[in-house]
Amino acid sequence: MASIDYPLEHPKAEALTPEFSFSESLYKWVATVDHKRLGLMYVVSALVFLVIAGIMASVIRMQLAFPLNHVVGPDTFNRLFTMHGTTMVFLVGMPMVAGFSVYLIPLMIGTRDMAFPRLNAFGFWIFLLGGCLLYFSYIGGGGLSGDGSAPDVGWFAYAPLTEKAFSRGAATDYWALGVLLSGVGSIVTALNVIATTFCMRCPGMTLSRMPMFVWVMLIDAWLVLVALPPLSAAQIMLELDRHLGANFFDTQAGGSAVLWQHLFWIFGHPEVYILIFPAFAILSEVIPVFSRKPLFGRPAMVGAVTAIGFISLGVWAHHMFAIGMTSWSNTFFAASSMLVGVPTGIKIFNWTATMYGGKLRMQTPLLFCIAFLLQFLVAGLTGIMLAVAPFDWQLHDSYFVVAHFHFTLVGGLVFGLFAGMYYWFPKVSGKMLDEKLGKWHFWLFCIGFNMTFLTLHFAGFLGMPRRIYTYYPGRGWDAINLIASLGVIPQAAGILCFVWNIIRSSLRGIPAGDDPWDAWTLEWATTSPPPEYNFEKLPVVRSSRPLWDLKHPQDPDWKYE
Amino acid sequence: MTHEEHHGEAGERSQEAAIVLPGPTFWPLVIAFGITLLLAGIVTHWAVGVVGLIVTFRAAVGWWHNVIPIEEHEEVPIDPELRPAPIQVEQRSVVRLRAGESGHRVRIPERIHPYSSGLWGGLAGGVAMAAIACLYGLVAQHSIWYPINLLAGVVIPGMGDQTVEQLRHFQMLPFFAALIGHGIISILVGIVYAVILPMFPKYAPFWAGILMPLFWSGLVATTLSVINPVMNERINWPWFVVAQLGFGLVGGYFIARSTSIRTMQTWTLAERAFVEAPGLHQPDEGKHG
Ligand SMILES: [Cu+2]
Repeated sequence: MASIDYPLEHPKAEALTPEFSFSESLYKWVATVDHKRLGLMYVVSALVFLVIAGIMASVIRMQLAFPLNHVVGPDTFNRLFTMHGTTMVFLVGMPMVAGFSVYLIPLMIGTRDMAFPRLNAFGFWIFLLGGCLLYFSYIGGGGLSGDGSAPDVGWFAYAPLTEKAFSRGAATDYWALGVLLSGVGSIVTALNVIATTFCMRCPGMTLSRMPMFVWVMLIDAWLVLVALPPLSAAQIMLELDRHLGANFFDTQAGGSAVLWQHLFWIFGHPEVYILIFPAFAILSEVIPVFSRKPLFGRPAMVGAVTAIGFISLGVWAHHMFAIGMTSWSNTFFAASSMLVGVPTGIKIFNWTATMYGGKLRMQTPLLFCIAFLLQFLVAGLTGIMLAVAPFDWQLHDSYFVVAHFHFTLVGGLVFGLFAGMYYWFPKVSGKMLDEKLGKWHFWLFCIGFNMTFLTLHFAGFLGMPRRIYTYYPGRGWDAINLIASLGVIPQAAGILCFVWNIIRSSLRGIPAGDDPWDAWTLEWATTSPPPEYNFEKLPVVRSSRPLWDLKHPQDPDWKYE
Repeated sequence: MTHEEHHGEAGERSQEAAIVLPGPTFWPLVIAFGITLLLAGIVTHWAVGVVGLIVTFRAAVGWWHNVIPIEEHEEVPIDPELRPAPIQVEQRSVVRLRAGESGHRVRIPERIHPYSSGLWGGLAGGVAMAAIACLYGLVAQHSIWYPINLLAGVVIPGMGDQTVEQLRHFQMLPFFAALIGHGIISILVGIVYAVILPMFPKYAPFWAGILMPLFWSGLVATTLSVINPVMNERINWPWFVVAQLGFGLVGGYFIARSTSIRTMQTWTLAERAFVEAPGLHQPDEGKHG
């Protein structure tokens, strides 16, 4: 083993990184195959789409703030919620999955790049162009007949509503094709992640020593690989129906009215886990570092994630209790859905146990993690409520469902992503994010989020259906909707704090150093931001916390693992 | 280039001048653009699709040339400016927590109350509760049978049709129904108390004696209209809560003062396998309680 005693003072060499002109640096970005640049482009595009989708959501809440309001008309409203949902899932969630994976995994497993660097670039560009194609529908969606603009069929685009007879114009085609393209990007990136984690780990990095982040994202990549092709297939079938007269979903020609629902939710339910896994992955890194304790129950965590991955493939029809399945199907899917609660509970307990007795550092990343734990718990419990088929018959397609999945995807995923961004921003940029602005961001966003979505559970209980563009006064929904809409203000203010924090800190933030959090995984062993080659020498590791071993040679982890 | 040169401790420096990485290429971008145009042709004009096809094909050829016959690489010079600082050895030493060390609990719970204490505690609490309920009957209706008859309304239909005068008198069937029901529930709740009492980190008597009866009262308050409409119409809530607290305090006291025993998890493997050998068993209090 080589030693790490080398002179601290090295002859000050001339900087070898030359200054680039604008066109040169543009070439550097568009032609890059570097996993860090691609990861960064993923996350930045996702943030841009997040802001767009957030503005759409704000308009939706403005329209619903008062009964019989007239901010937008019904057609625009349908397009807004369709584009909001589609954007959040396919153009915010999925690129965040990909961005965090491709940026961090090579660093964490001690290698220089992904297994397929060019495929990595292709995955990013096809996602971005797919997103652009979807948004081009605002211009081209009218098609030859000039009907419609953006898609208005909801993010799950139920056939036969999407058939030519009911969705005229080209809007639905833009939805299918744009999402299909970005799905291709997700599939190739998942392949890349799997190949990278299986083939490129540095010496000594056995699967059992792999950082928990990498474990979760590996299972996530498998889920993408299994779950996305059914959606792509369904979208191709839909295009065949619409353009070549196939009749997969056309009931009058012998097609099936529920086939789309099955195919969509075979993708759609695992998709929920595909989206929440990055948050799981981030929490599993942030909570130990900010509690100054190793992750509690590591093997159980790996087992739980794997179990969630498998079980989530067998629960899809809980989205379809209302279509009138046999009671055997209802029972099966209710039971399997509840089963997911077991491994999820294990994870929540383990994160809590990691914090228990730890030396907590109450900084912004940990705050977001704590809020995640509480909010995701609520989301899980309402999920189990909805898994009870008769309960679901009552509240299906109501605002209770809307509140439930926003607790999962915003209270869970988005909070987790924010934790991750505050945690890794110093590594990516070399600058610290401002802690004070971070706290403002956290509290404003947390309060606003709960104002909007806690209250909407009650709108659902009181019978308010989702996707209505307005409602009559006096049904008991007025105050709830007003509070929910007012919650947008603190949320938007929180996001503004975040954006301002990023801009200000990138320009003149405090230099972060290589390892500002005193963390234990390999990405903190290199410079911030890391050089193109990540590590001069590929590291050799002997435990799941290689940096701990180097910092505590008297008491390394490998003695105990 | 030896193997030694490529691998080292995390953050270690290399003697090499440059590192070989895959070279930049814009063909992945172009092929993605081509495929997008190809699909956009479906919804715009066939000519768009044809252009997309041509672009895709050209980009595919370009991409092949990136990797065939040999993969294109670039040499990235190692920039001494970008070297990470050496990893500092932590000066403070680490004390490993040893299982069972001063105040550290090996498993949760390390010691438990025997189930029998829950049984007896439940019965004692049940007696205390019944006494308070009868006292309420005496004060409010001048009859100890009144609350007993009300309780029997859970299982006996038609109690709701009785007048207050009838409810004041002793009735054989309702008396036994109430006695058996009250006894069984008291024992079950007592056992639940005994099982969960060691799981509370602190102030266990407080939780068991006061908070749990309050939770229990809340549970009954929300469900009573369904399980016992007769009682729901006539119940006096302050007295009810006091009776619950009586149960909690007396039962909790009985359970808490029982000798606790070690959980089986803390035994050694040999002990758990019931291997009999000299010196194996610690001279400990009754662990088989
Ligand atoms: Cu689901």
